[in-house]
Amino acid sequence: MIAGTDRELKMLDKASAEFARKELAPERQENDRYPDAPLFEKTIKKAYDLEYFHIILPEALNGVGQGVAALCVILYNICREDSSLGGLIFTNAAAQELHIAAGAEEILKAVTEPADSVYNFLIAAPVFNNPRDMDNAADAAMQDGRYLLSGRVEYTVAGNIARHAVVPAKTEDAAGCSFFLLDLSSEGVTVSAPIPSLGLHACPAVDITLDRVPCSLLGQVGEGPQYFGKMAGRMSAAAAAMSAGIMKGSLTEALEYSRGRFQGGKRIVDWSEIRMMLAEMAVKVKTAECMVSRISQGIDQQETGWQEYAEAAAIDIQRSACGLTTDGIQVLGGVGYMKDFGQEKRFRDAKHIQALLGMVPTKKLRLIEGMFR
Amino acid sequence: MISRKEVKAYSAMPPVFEDITCGLASAPKLPKPMVKETRRVIALARKFNKEVVRPYALELDSKLQASPDYIPWDFVEQANEWGLYTGWIPKIFGGKGWNMPSLAYFIEEIASECLAMANLVGVHYLGVSTLTSTGNVRLINQICRQVAAGEKTHTPCLVSLATTEPGAGTDAEEIDLMDKGTMTCTAERVPGGYKLNGTKVFISNGHLSTWHMVIAYSDTSKPSENTVVLAVKTGDKGFSFGRKEQKMGQKGCPASELIFKDCFVPDEYVCFSPEQIRSLKRTVRETGMQMIDYVVSTTRAGVGAFGTGAARGAYNEAKKFAAETEVGGKRLINHEWAQCMLAEMLKNVMTARLTYVEANSANGLYGAFRDLQRKPMFYYYRLMPAKFFDKMVSPMLEKAFMTKTFRRVQLDGQTDEEIHRTSGWASLSKVAATDLGIRNCHMALELMGQHGLRRSYRVEKMLRDAKLLQIYEGTNQLNRLNIFKCMIAGDCPQAVIFDE
Repeated sequence: MIAGTDRELKMLDKASAEFARKELAPERQENDRYPDAPLFEKTIKKAYDLEYFHIILPEALNGVGQGVAALCVILYNICREDSSLGGLIFTNAAAQELHIAAGAEEILKAVTEPADSVYNFLIAAPVFNNPRDMDNAADAAMQDGRYLLSGRVEYTVAGNIARHAVVPAKTEDAAGCSFFLLDLSSEGVTVSAPIPSLGLHACPAVDITLDRVPCSLLGQVGEGPQYFGKMAGRMSAAAAAMSAGIMKGSLTEALEYSRGRFQGGKRIVDWSEIRMMLAEMAVKVKTAECMVSRISQGIDQQETGWQEYAEAAAIDIQRSACGLTTDGIQVLGGVGYMKDFGQEKRFRDAKHIQALLGMVPTKKLRLIEGMFR
Repeated sequence: MISRKEVKAYSAMPPVFEDITCGLASAPKLPKPMVKETRRVIALARKFNKEVVRPYALELDSKLQASPDYIPWDFVEQANEWGLYTGWIPKIFGGKGWNMPSLAYFIEEIASECLAMANLVGVHYLGVSTLTSTGNVRLINQICRQVAAGEKTHTPCLVSLATTEPGAGTDAEEIDLMDKGTMTCTAERVPGGYKLNGTKVFISNGHLSTWHMVIAYSDTSKPSENTVVLAVKTGDKGFSFGRKEQKMGQKGCPASELIFKDCFVPDEYVCFSPEQIRSLKRTVRETGMQMIDYVVSTTRAGVGAFGTGAARGAYNEAKKFAAETEVGGKRLINHEWAQCMLAEMLKNVMTARLTYVEANSANGLYGAFRDLQRKPMFYYYRLMPAKFFDKMVSPMLEKAFMTKTFRRVQLDGQTDEEIHRTSGWASLSKVAATDLGIRNCHMALELMGQHGLRRSYRVEKMLRDAKLLQIYEGTNQLNRLNIFKCMIAGDCPQAVIFDE
């Protein structure tokens, strides 16, 4: 459904679904143990070789340039099985989009072109915080014609595995924050251990402490919130696709289980209350798929008002995913709560993903602000 | 204006007066010292939270994330030192005899900081209340006194309940489903006792308990009429622990697999069997359901308290965060929308609490707490010294007629309406409070943004922990059906339950 009738998207849909089924599903439980187990590096590298990290990046910048719809197809399929990889792909794409929103393509190219590995290609970013929400910025000071960053940026996703990071920082001469690209292997960078979190365990977030670290300014000073807003508009479709994928995965597992599990002498799917729960889940999944397909298409075609539609759909789908994954566990009963099945992880991941690109209430308020403008 | 006859008739119309006025009717009957005692219990819980629970909750969760096989003996030993495993055992059985409704308040307090630790205490009373519900006074006295001795000797002696089987969760909790289900834990009658075979799963506190109340069936083709409750001790021949489940939350409280292979349980440890209850006024099947209802009427209200604790914990953390954090350039707590969210969360906490208080009022009037809360009994237990019970009463409890009398009073003394009222209210509390607990965790996470995702901010753990509340003690779906059965079906004679 998400891929629609586009031939290229359909091929991508098939390939990414197969990748997720073969590479992610079997190792989901073990991968989720990170950092108490090794990071699933082999799988990340495979995804890189398949150019999933390049998908939204324009060809001129060493990418595939397939647009938001293609990114949504990939994220949807991956998140059906394991959202952690989806989180890494999302973060990298969001960082790339921030560069493009700021008109800093050349800076981005300087990262992507020479990159000889996924880690050199990957750009970390604090994608859970909209700079208009909470103050999570370093301080930027100009010295000898270049900016040096000091201070702390919290919850930077992929900060312990990526070579580069995009971070917000405050400058003396502007009210709003600005975005900077920095090399995480530079002197003066300290990265915390992965932060124990609700979900997306194998998509680690870290706190980064900076001490006079050289960096490159993206776009104009003080324009960070605007760039973030532009990026968030497009990437909210991708976040929605992640949630829709989780929903689909949860429904699939619930259907499978309810066909095989007996209670009161018959398959639980034959008890009408369970059937009703499954029906509610199916309604949510179908609606979410429909919305993701439509908004991603709208974004790629630059339809009027696409940003509002995308942001509204994302809020709705993410909320829906939280409710659906609760029922996804409930259908399985006790085993749904255990690590042996994927449902508990989907429940955690759905809530985690809901916080992407900022706090839920402020995302809603910004939507209505935009409509008043 | 209205005659006596009319008052009676109108009061009997649905909703029946007694169904909606449990708190009102119960208040004048409560012994006064219960309030003071409950205040002390809540204060004790808060002290325990401050000194033990809050400092250790995240550490224990992390410890189990890294080493899933860790067994939290350290916490259990502390809870034992604090007297928490004997607090709600009646004095007649060697416990401290704190009033039973105060346990729910206590649980709410602990759960507001850590649901796993609340479970490490609360689940013990699930085992104890199952034991009590069998009415086998000799065994109740014997096992409860071992719990009390464990406190004195600093060797915790906990009791668990083993009901769920790999192929039967919901089926094991509802007599109407039992016979259609696939119960496989068998208790074969052999000379001098029963031979137990089968597996029990998801047994909370299994690895930590000394005694296990095992529900088994002497004939699995008709389990509803062949249910036996056996007291099995850790270390008994033929009994071993299997895997310890890896759960999403409540990691600190182990969910264990119990494996029985030709485990011989002598007659003296048979808590309940069909033969023992044939002289009661209800059929074996009806008594079996009554016994289940007797247990769940208290324990589901207890889960309501767990849910309230979860709702309250999430609210507390969100409030603290909102007061300390700036969003969009001003304190979060000064955004009107945030104030309304916090008000909504508080409303959820209060509403959840009211449900378990009402459910326990029903238990006090019509159920498991009734005899303990009757004023003469209450003061008798309260005023007589423990030594009197130890030396004078305890030996009497060994006599068979005591069990017979106790069962008559406990089981035959309860009407069908009373069973439905207590069971219905308990399910209602369980469903309402646990759903509200989850709701508040979601709201707190939404209010806290990326900070809420971090374990150190506590709410993500609360959400993981709280989800289990909607599943155990009967899924919320089963409990909704029980609400229908107990509180709605009576109004509609056409209604058929568990048979669509």
